[in-house]
Amino acid sequence: MSDDMTRRGALAKAARGAAALALGGAAFHLVRKAEGQIVWNVDPALCINSRLGETGVEVCGLCTTECVVSQSAVRAVNEFSKCGRCNICPAYFNVTSAVNEKGLPSEKLCPRDAIERKPIGEVDPDDPANNFYEYVIDEIKCDGCGKCVMACKEPLGLGSIQLRVRHSLCVDCNRCAISIACPKDAIEHVPSERAFDHVQLGSHP
Amino acid sequence: MPIRPRTAALLIALAGLILLFAGGAAGQALPYERPVEVAPQEADIGSGYTTPPVQKPKPRSYWLQVLDVVLLAVAMGVSVWLVLSRRSRKWVLALSVACLGYFGFYREGCICPIGSIQNVAVALTDTRYSIPIVVTAVFFLPLLVALFFGRAFCGGVCPLGAIQELVVLKPVQVPRRLDRALGLLKYAYLGLAVWLAVQPFAQREFVICRFDPFVGFFRRTGFAHMLYIGAAFLVVGMFVGRPYCRYLCPYGGLLEWVSRLAGRGVSITPDKELDCGLCQEACPYGAIEEMRAVRPKCLYCARCFAFCPREGPLAAKS
Repeated sequence: MSDDMTRRGALAKAARGAAALALGGAAFHLVRKAEGQIVWNVDPALCINSRLGETGVEVCGLCTTECVVSQSAVRAVNEFSKCGRCNICPAYFNVTSAVNEKGLPSEKLCPRDAIERKPIGEVDPDDPANNFYEYVIDEIKCDGCGKCVMACKEPLGLGSIQLRVRHSLCVDCNRCAISIACPKDAIEHVPSERAFDHVQLGSHP
Repeated sequence: MPIRPRTAALLIALAGLILLFAGGAAGQALPYERPVEVAPQEADIGSGYTTPPVQKPKPRSYWLQVLDVVLLAVAMGVSVWLVLSRRSRKWVLALSVACLGYFGFYREGCICPIGSIQNVAVALTDTRYSIPIVVTAVFFLPLLVALFFGRAFCGGVCPLGAIQELVVLKPVQVPRRLDRALGLLKYAYLGLAVWLAVQPFAQREFVICRFDPFVGFFRRTGFAHMLYIGAAFLVVGMFVGRPYCRYLCPYGGLLEWVSRLAGRGVSITPDKELDCGLCQEACPYGAIEEMRAVRPKCLYCARCFAFCPREGPLAAKS
């Protein structure tokens, strides 16, 4: 009886050891090919709103509607160094709306009024072409609908606005709900140091 | 086609704009002409203008992620100690509420060992997919603990378990055969989840995360149908103890296998005769058979100790 018990004990110990080794080995294998911290990211070269050549299509608003965060973690970002700082910005104004007494389109494009237009320096009313404006997107108001991204896209704009995942808001879902819905598979899972590059859209035909 | 006044005004305005901005390019077909060809830089703008930096909020800092893993390990250690040494229902419940608060409502349920099954499955099959070390640790730590001490993760740490533990109101004993049959569901679910996860990227589906019944509560937002399913699990959970854990949780299935090999686990008054069976009635999870805790099914809730006349407060009274 006691002999049997010790044999069972030894077998159990051996099985436990083997299982521990197998688990440890698998873990070690995965750790060896690990790549640091991985985050969700919008690839602007694939996103229908910023991708070149996608014209005459409806703005895709899936980033706004699919994200599990109540106000989507995807927001529009204006890369200031690429911004034309135009007097009449196609992403700020609805350029098809009627022109008001100031000579500017009367309607704004953003449905949430999330873009602020700030004059840079002195404004010369007689020479609007040489006045510059800074367009700042209000992170709190923006919900990533992508209308401004589509409007700023080349060749009509300079393509300075792109959709980005705000990593301070993203809850790091294991499988991003937007990535399931995205028709262009533009949501990618990349190491965090690659997530902030401003993609040169011209180089991605 | 008659031209409406609004359209006419617009056309005139646009023509004016084009003249203003693009000089002689007035004959262009495009209704809107890009005002500038290249972005003006600081020198062109003048008057001391500096380009503002683009806001780039960083992800959660790495040490905070490591802290999650450390907290997971510590919480499992405490869970083992409270159940096996202190044998205290009260304290292990307090621990699970604390973990529900931290891993559930504060960390919003991601990443969890249950969902990490899929990442591990993909990482083992797809050579291009790499998973963060943190996720690897989150997957393997509870399994290692279960290998030696049983399902300590389920009882004290798992937020999905804790939220169901709190609603157990009047549990019925599920007939053993039915319990076994329903218990097979989680292996089917595990197989399905792994199969869907190892598909090529475009078809890849993380079904466990997508149909996580409680993550909507943790995030206080979510798709309505998932919130209803979660609520349904909680309502059923009042009468059937922890239905998700016992019948659907794929990670529970893995822990069940691994904890069969466990050397230690919950044991009811090991040095005394057992005859009353109060523990068997008290266990809402059908994990006590012949007045002995069945290691693979035991969810570390420690109710059996609380109801045992020879343990803790009841023993002290008599």
